[in-house]
Amino acid sequence: MSAFLVWLEDTAPSVLIRESPSVWGFPFVLFLHTLGLGVAAGVSVALNLWVLGWAERYPAAPLRGAFPVVWLGFTIALVSGVLLLLAYPTKALTDPVFYLKLTLIVAALAQVQWIRRRLFDADGANEPRPPSAAMRRSAGAALVLWTGAVLTGRLLAYTYNYLTAAELIRGA
Amino acid sequence: MVETAIEWLESTALANLVFTYGWVWPISEALHFMGLVLLVGSVGLFDLRVLGLGKGIPPAAIHRLVPFGIVGFVVSVLTGTVFVTSTPDQYFYNSAFHFKAVFLLLMGLNAAFFYVGPHRVVSMLGPYDDAPRSAKVSAALSLSFMTAVMCCGRMLTFFRPL
Repeated sequence: MSAFLVWLEDTAPSVLIRESPSVWGFPFVLFLHTLGLGVAAGVSVALNLWVLGWAERYPAAPLRGAFPVVWLGFTIALVSGVLLLLAYPTKALTDPVFYLKLTLIVAALAQVQWIRRRLFDADGANEPRPPSAAMRRSAGAALVLWTGAVLTGRLLAYTYNYLTAAELIRGA
Repeated sequence: MVETAIEWLESTALANLVFTYGWVWPISEALHFMGLVLLVGSVGLFDLRVLGLGKGIPPAAIHRLVPFGIVGFVVSVLTGTVFVTSTPDQYFYNSAFHFKAVFLLLMGLNAAFFYVGPHRVVSMLGPYDDAPRSAKVSAALSLSFMTAVMCCGRMLTFFRPL
């Protein structure tokens, strides 16, 4: 594991993102990650609040276009996240909170797909229709999942054990 | 004058709380981001409707999400106060913070313009109605300023004075 991390941190892209003094390096990638998570988690949370509060009074069909926005945000967060991981792989991969964060995101994204199918793929997306009890539970769970994802993601800056592979080797 | 303000802020009970308990700052950071998520998601979705996404829903209906965005914004302002109060020198002499303040002000002015101006017309629109141009411009500015605030916020760390 540590040999792999040493090698990864020595690759050109990893060194470039980590050590470039330009704001277009690490700082800009961090901004993109914030933008991506803001859009993905934000629009997803808003849609689930909509399901809980107002879906029964309006047809679901017009909201179809909001789901690609969630996925656009996620794509930005994913690409920038991979770059951040590439810059500091040891920091993330040796922190259990990182794996908890990934699990929460996978579950939250699975919910996005689940609620989308329920909203649009059955009959009547063009008519107002009260969401089922399962959809309400799912929407409530999504709020918890996204909250957890943001909490664990933000705490990664404080919970890590080793910043670099060199620290890992020294520490172990 | 700035020095006096900095000394006073650092002597407040709130600053002392941050210095005493190590978890106050990280939890404030997490809440700051949760607030951002609520604001971007709900206000952003309303802006997108004004711009033409999901037109089958009247804007007034989507606007019901906006109070959640305001709650998020308040959470972000309160937690932001925790950061500035406990380490004021890290913000007062930080150009990224100056830009962030300018974009927050622009965000507020744009919101004020929207509610004084086109909001009345927009709130009466039905399904598939197109919003007036002034509302669309305001919605596009809202999305732009929110993005700019996030950008400057994320840049704060990299422009801290030594």
